[in-house]
Amino acid sequence: MIQHPGVLALLLASGLVTLLVVAAAGLGWQILRHWDQHSGTESQLALERRTYLVSALLSLALGVQVLSLFLFIFTADGLHSQFVGAMCAAGSLAAAPYGYTTLLLKVGTCLLAGAWIVLHRADIRAYDCPLIRPKFGLLLGLAPLVLAETWFQTRYLTGLRADVMTSCCGSLFGQGREGIAAELAGLPPALMHPLFWGSLLAFAVAGGWFLRTRRGALAFSLLGLAFFVIALVALVSVFDLYIYELPTHHCPFCLLHREHGFVGYPLYATLLGGALTALGVGVLSPFRGRTSLASVLPAMQAKLAWTALGCAAVFTLIVGIWALVSPLRL
Amino acid sequence: MIELAQVVKTYSAGLATPYTAVAGVTLDIPGGQLTVLKGPSGSGKTTLLSLIGCMARPTSGRIHLRGLPPGLLPQGADADPLEITSLPERFLTTIRRRTFGFIFQQFNLVRGISVLENVMLPTYPTGEDRETVEARAVTRLEALGMARHLKAPVDRLSGGEAQRVAIARALINDPPVIIADEPTAHLDSRLSAEFMELMGQFKGAGRTLLIASHDPIVHDSPLADLVIVMRDGQVVTAP
Repeated sequence: MIQHPGVLALLLASGLVTLLVVAAAGLGWQILRHWDQHSGTESQLALERRTYLVSALLSLALGVQVLSLFLFIFTADGLHSQFVGAMCAAGSLAAAPYGYTTLLLKVGTCLLAGAWIVLHRADIRAYDCPLIRPKFGLLLGLAPLVLAETWFQTRYLTGLRADVMTSCCGSLFGQGREGIAAELAGLPPALMHPLFWGSLLAFAVAGGWFLRTRRGALAFSLLGLAFFVIALVALVSVFDLYIYELPTHHCPFCLLHREHGFVGYPLYATLLGGALTALGVGVLSPFRGRTSLASVLPAMQAKLAWTALGCAAVFTLIVGIWALVSPLRL
Repeated sequence: MIELAQVVKTYSAGLATPYTAVAGVTLDIPGGQLTVLKGPSGSGKTTLLSLIGCMARPTSGRIHLRGLPPGLLPQGADADPLEITSLPERFLTTIRRRTFGFIFQQFNLVRGISVLENVMLPTYPTGEDRETVEARAVTRLEALGMARHLKAPVDRLSGGEAQRVAIARALINDPPVIIADEPTAHLDSRLSAEFMELMGQFKGAGRTLLIASHDPIVHDSPLADLVIVMRDGQVVTAP
């Protein structure tokens, strides 16, 4: 294991988040089985008190979980100089087993943690905890993923050894290589440009329709998620070429370097933020009929929708400006 | 107005020395009337008042409030009656502030600041315009005969004057329910009778009054519509 502040912070944060999530999942199981707000029994009132406390702590812990995705990438990028052949986080993630598995799990837990936070924020705005069961039901689904992520992350981080030989991003994401990453990176601009702009248009139209009529929340959410996935693929296959000013370099991690203005951070923040908020609109959609949420959810969904559209706009603006000013022409 | 169903409050529950201050109280306190909780020290009166006033949560049982001021909860929420024991703290704060006015045994005035500032204190978190609040506080104090003490520090007030300030403070947010805990404990007979006169005026104005006291001037007063006798955390007699 490499004694790096980022590594230690990730291990500590994951350990604490996992402990809290597992403990809260136990409470969630009790809630799903025994919660009855019409009952005034001692066990119900004790459950209510514990739920408020645990929910508040959990929302903080899951916030840390979301941020830990960035810390993980930042740390992997910072460690690349320790490995022979690594030029960025791409090499660091390949320097020990489970690096990319951890990254994928982190993205998954990050989205689910965001969905939980959205549910929690809506739930605490109502006086009768109307989302208590969906919230803790989701937590029971999230808990195994967090456990798995912590396990793989620990295996990966403790398995890192300095001076091992690893692959550089050019060989991992280069055109003509094998593997999903290389194939996605190799998708042609002729395909990705219409896909990107088409999905952006569909997302914007769905957003406008939703904000005007307060209908079509689920469609907006799905189109939003689709847009942010397509945008990620388009970034790796097309837009990063303008930033690198190289027609063959498709690395998603070199964007985080100083020589490229750290542009990767705002790009990935808008992608993640947009995906989380678009997902949030859909997550809240089934609960609009709840009486105590009737005046809360429309405003919350509108705020989330505006944020998701804003993230899409900022992402498009950044890659658009870069494509315009770049000397590279595809 | 206030309905209690099998309310229990146990302090130090689950520890070596649990103490049950309220043991299974079921009550219906009517609105617009003066209700007195009577009983010796340790009978559970103060604990029951703190549970009704949303200052503590029961160990078991439920408390319902009816006829709350509008706007306490999100629009469209069906909240009448409102069950208060399960409410998240953010709603309890609003309910405490808008529904109840508290008069404490020790008055609990903040020393070092003036009478007027003490009365205005409960309005600060509401963000209400200061001039409006000040005008209302002055009106309340004038009605209680405290106009000449507006700028005086509370440290210099007599017991009766301090209590009038406490009453004005309890009324500043115009609450429909006034809760008083042993309000005459530090007053002589004349001031206690004056206090009951004031309570009579508030009752006439349609407010619900709930007073815990073992002072005969209070519980034997003809103004009391309902006297509930408590002992060992239980209701001994109630209609």
